[in-house]
Amino acid sequence: MARKKKERRKSEVPIASMGDIAFLLIIFFLLLSEFNKDKPVELVLPTSASVEKNKEKPIARVDIDENGIIYVDGNEVSDSQAVTDLLLVKLDKTLSDKQRHVQLKCHMALGKGQFEPVLQAIAEAGGIIDAVGEKNE
Amino acid sequence: MGRRRDRKKKKHRDGEIPVGSFSDIAFLLIVYFLVATTLVKVKGVSVDMPSGEESSNASDNDKTPTVMMKGAEIYFKDKPITFDELMVRLDALNLKEAEGQEKVIMLESTDETSYQDYYKVMAAISKKGGVIALVEVEE
Repeated sequence: MARKKKERRKSEVPIASMGDIAFLLIIFFLLLSEFNKDKPVELVLPTSASVEKNKEKPIARVDIDENGIIYVDGNEVSDSQAVTDLLLVKLDKTLSDKQRHVQLKCHMALGKGQFEPVLQAIAEAGGIIDAVGEKNE
Repeated sequence: MGRRRDRKKKKHRDGEIPVGSFSDIAFLLIVYFLVATTLVKVKGVSVDMPSGEESSNASDNDKTPTVMMKGAEIYFKDKPITFDELMVRLDALNLKEAEGQEKVIMLESTDETSYQDYYKVMAAISKKGGVIALVEVEE
């Protein structure tokens, strides 16, 4: 039996809408992305088995490096009193609990005299401390 | 000087914008955002410390459990315990169900306590549902 020869169809992929899809993806990433505001402060974070992912977006970031130098949002400050003063400006009394989170990154080897005044300063300003650490299984 | 009357007629060009490379530009932008976006969430513990309340009267805090840290050593109600024992004691307090003052755990430390040791205890108390109150020893 003679077989019919199959006709070759033109196999073009429709790419006209590729640009539209791409721009939709861009809009998605634009809305989703949050640029890293942290200035690189060299520190080794403490570890604990109890750490969880921080759900709330912090209103301010406080870092204490290995020399005990305090940074608020990447800017060096003189002492813990300055932390309170800066946070009091940001932590308006009308803010809800979700908006009062302050991220704290502190070098693991620091002594009580260096980190506790900062903890008190954040608490005094009315912030909820999000103490950053690494998961230790 | 007379104007030239016989001006050349302007040619009508096609008014189409070349959009062929739009998708290339768009995908380049996507790659940029993919690289610049941080999807990793920071891990840590949330600690809500009470502020502005100072009490010099020891009897006020007699019933409040106190965790004392001397360096890496942990003392619970003045008795030395291990970290695992502390977790058991905190479980027994059932802090998540407690209300008000009953949730409060006093946390005291000495100068030789490192942030690593302090963080471990602070994270444990916080995870068990306790509210940490710092104890400041007046000199």
